[in-house]
Formats: sequence, C-alpha cells, structure tokens
Amino acid sequence: MRIQVFAILKDFFKKEFEFKTSAHTIADLRVQLALINPEAAAVLKLCRFAVQDEMVTDHYPLTGNEHVLVIPPSSGG
Amino acid sequence: MFWLFHLAAEGNMDFITRKQIDLVALLQKSHCPTAGAVVLFSGEVRNHNIGKAVKYLEYEAHVGMATKMIAEILLAARNRWSLSIAHAQHRIGKVKVTESAVVVITASVHRGEAYASNRYIIDRIKHEVPIWKCEHFADGSKEWGGNCNCHTETGDPNKHLYEFEVL
Repeated sequence: MRIQVFAILKDFFKKEFEFKTSAHTIADLRVQLALINPEAAAVLKLCRFAVQDEMVTDHYPLTGNEHVLVIPPSSGG
Repeated sequence: MFWLFHLAAEGNMDFITRKQIDLVALLQKSHCPTAGAVVLFSGEVRNHNIGKAVKYLEYEAHVGMATKMIAEILLAARNRWSLSIAHAQHRIGKVKVTESAVVVITASVHRGEAYASNRYIIDRIKHEVPIWKCEHFADGSKEWGGNCNCHTETGDPNKHLYEFEVL
C-alpha cells in the first residue's frame, strides 16, 4: 500500500512510500508503522488515518492496495 | 437572492490559499442587506510562543481534504444557524508576524448567531481540518506544534472538545 505522511511525521518517515504489510486494519497499521520507527510511536498514537481522502476509524479493513494518509493532530489557526 | 449570490461567491473562493489573506477585501464582500451583524475573526501570527520569539510560521495542509472539510463545516454552520454569510479561508506556506493565517466571516440578522457560528467554525477548523503549523523561532529552531490535544481528555484522536460547546 501507499503511505503518505504529513507535518511532524516527515521527521520520521519519507513523505510518501510503498509499504508491504499484513495489516488487516488501521489499528494494525498504526502498530506496524511504529515498529518501523519507534521514535514515531508517540505521535502515531495520536494520528488520524484517511483512505482515499476520507477519514477512517481504527476498525477500517485494509486490503493492501490502499493509499493511506497518516494525519497528525491538526494545528491550524 | 443575496443568499444565492453569496453561495455562488463561495463556490469561487479558495478555502485554502497560498496568497496573503486580504481581510479588507473579504470584509468588503461581506455586507448583506439581510444581515444586521457581521463578525470577522482573523487568526494572526504573533511574535512569541512558549516564551520564545517567533520569526514566522509555516503552514502545511492536505489541500483536497481541507477544502472539502471546510466546505462541510460551513454547511453545518448554515444548517445550525440562520446565516446570510459563512466564509472561511486558511493560508498555507510561510506566514509572517501580524499576517492573517485564517479568517472566518459570518453574517446574520442579529449578532448572537454571527458570533456563535463564527466560534463554531474556527473551533472545528482548528481541531479537525488537516492543517499543521510549524513555528520558526528567532533563535533558528523550529517546532511542529500548537496541535489539538483533545485526545488527552477524550482518549480518541477523532473526538474533540470544542470551546463553542462550553461557552
């Protein structure tokens, strides 16, 4: 699947990368991304995820072909 | 008729912009014969934060999602209050001290609805919309920050606490 990260996560990951994963849900993916880079674990816990530009919950099922956005807590304004 | 005019105007409006926000021009477009109250909120870059001198802020957004979410928030405000106007625009890229990073304009028959809806819109933009600020300090350091930390209370990054709900 294609992973795209933003803001502070770019300090821990490439802005966009291919990720071969057995993650069945967003919750699994959150854990697996933290394993790639444990320093990002604390931020990843707070992130929202989006698939095809729509926010999804931790239970969202993954097939492995998605474009997943990892969205840190908002800090606009 | 004026309501339709304003909806059409919003269709042409960029909710996310790289250009400097022209508050005067936006306010000039926000007068409406049916509205006795116009509220303009401008979120501006201040020269200090957490005890450090701020040089400028740099904003990043997922433009597609942010545009869609701001449109949804404005629509939700229109459904909740009777508004003649509901506009919002957020800037991305480098924003200097005293410049506007975000503007929200609401207009209604009386001030109560214009104030309340304006607060609702800016709160939801700050908590929900995928926009992030990076603070660049005078000492050369930088920090992604000022983010929504509602999860410490709600235990869920998707659940927020809004100031408009406790006022």
